[in-house]
Amino acid sequence: MDEMYAIETQGLTKFYGKDRGIIDLDLKIEPGEIFGFIGPNGAGKSTTIRTLLGLIFPTSGSGKIFGMDIVKQSKKIKKQIGYMPSEVNYYEKMDGQELLSYSAAFYERDCESRISELADIFSLDLNRKIVDLSRGNRKKISILQCLIHQPRLLILDEPTTGLDPLMQAKFFDILREKNSRGTTIFFSSHTLSEVQKMCRKVGIIKEGKIIAVEDIETLRKKQLRKIQVEFAHPVKDKEIDCPGVIAPQVDKNILNIMFSGKMEDLLNSLSGKDVKDLIIEEPTLEEIFMHYYSDENEQNKKAQ
Amino acid sequence: MINTNLYFKELKRYRNFFLAWSISIGVLIVMELAFYHIFMNEDMAKMMATFFENPFMKNMMTVFGTNLDVLTNALGYYATRSAIYIMLLVTFFSIMLAGKILAREEHEKTAEFLLAKPVTRLEVVWSKLAAFLTYLFLLSVIILVSGSIGLEIFKGESVYRLSAFFIHSFYFFLLMLTFGAIGLFLSLLIKRGRPITNISIGIVFGGYLIDILSKVTASVDKFGYLSPFKFMDSGVLRPDYGLEWWRVLYFLGLSIVLIALTFVIYRNKDILV
Repeated sequence: MDEMYAIETQGLTKFYGKDRGIIDLDLKIEPGEIFGFIGPNGAGKSTTIRTLLGLIFPTSGSGKIFGMDIVKQSKKIKKQIGYMPSEVNYYEKMDGQELLSYSAAFYERDCESRISELADIFSLDLNRKIVDLSRGNRKKISILQCLIHQPRLLILDEPTTGLDPLMQAKFFDILREKNSRGTTIFFSSHTLSEVQKMCRKVGIIKEGKIIAVEDIETLRKKQLRKIQVEFAHPVKDKEIDCPGVIAPQVDKNILNIMFSGKMEDLLNSLSGKDVKDLIIEEPTLEEIFMHYYSDENEQNKKAQ
Repeated sequence: MINTNLYFKELKRYRNFFLAWSISIGVLIVMELAFYHIFMNEDMAKMMATFFENPFMKNMMTVFGTNLDVLTNALGYYATRSAIYIMLLVTFFSIMLAGKILAREEHEKTAEFLLAKPVTRLEVVWSKLAAFLTYLFLLSVIILVSGSIGLEIFKGESVYRLSAFFIHSFYFFLLMLTFGAIGLFLSLLIKRGRPITNISIGIVFGGYLIDILSKVTASVDKFGYLSPFKFMDSGVLRPDYGLEWWRVLYFLGLSIVLIALTFVIYRNKDILV
């Protein structure tokens, strides 16, 4: 048997008429992984997820979940999946309990004890009608809905929007616990800080294309550094002439740069320039992310 | 084929809609027959006779397929009157229920929940179709029961075949089925956010008017075949009144084609929520 991935796509492409959804997406996600899927709004995150779930059909390319084809074996796949959508839209006349029992019945499992257990953890009143619930409480129903049938793969689309930090922490604890027992998690988000907390690996999607898949650690340890240099005199943004300087920004005597070159070159070019202070930091993922984007932009400009 | 969880949930979701409509229709049928009883007792029939002496009125009534003999018979009266509005009510019920039952998941964005469950597209359509047919069947039973009881209580001296009433009700069922199939099919073609109710009302009234106009104006009578109502037969007192194969074939054929198209479209449709 082939090596089986939790999620595997090959050249997965989706166009809505002429509008771009995703282009040529190649993803390989190992079972047991927590995979962060990041990109700005409109980059194609939800399109990817909906194609994986069979809500929409690929224009070309293919995808497999646990070795099963996303178009032909969608029903079988969905038995193994818990999906949490970014916007929660449920049957408004149902109350929480009814919705969750309805949801659970599709999996032909008795999940009642699990439902009440999780409702306690999230202090959720299941007797209230969905229509009367706040956004945060609907989100909690959505969390329960995707967890109660003990799926092997969780697909979470912007799972934290509308959740307060306390609930977010509880949710992340549960996810980690699930993951430690082998559940694969596909975590889509535009907020890197939360991906950073949860994931070991991230895929970055931009304008429908995957531009990088990296381990969080590698991403951080990339030579990229955030550097602040304070001079004794006002500076220009071209103050340092050294390969690897990215996005210089000047504030009176202070120069802020991102740097991906050789540290030795940087120190050489700084020597004799009356440097009063030098701060070298590890950039946040957000900044690394921005770097990917500015990189691409520059290349595009050059191409034109 | 049918996902029972979904099927029973659909029954529950539309239970109140069904109860409101079916009770109203049942009560209206009995009331209509009670009016017949009053009408006969109050010597209204004699007034009607005068009315029918006017040649214009007589011709017009003939266009609507009725005459004094028909109107003074309980079943004839029922068929004539119900052709005016009970027929419209049952088709409204049918097209609205069918129009909602599938498309509402998309309109209210719950399709994202439903289709992320282990259920195929075809199972979704089958289950919802089964729920729709269940209510269609139950409404037909209510029409049969309320009509039979009403006729039995208020028939007076009328002579008719009860089987003619059953055949008439079966045509009603076929008519509802056809409009239901139209509702299902159209609900998939209509863009998100457009209210299905307005379009349903338009189709039922449009079909009804086409049928009436084609009967009044001989030059456009072929035009009438565009409307399913044209294939309804309300001539319950005719000795040869019965199920005609071409009518049944039309209703069943059109319904099956539209439902089959619904399956095909829904199976391949991108669900955008």
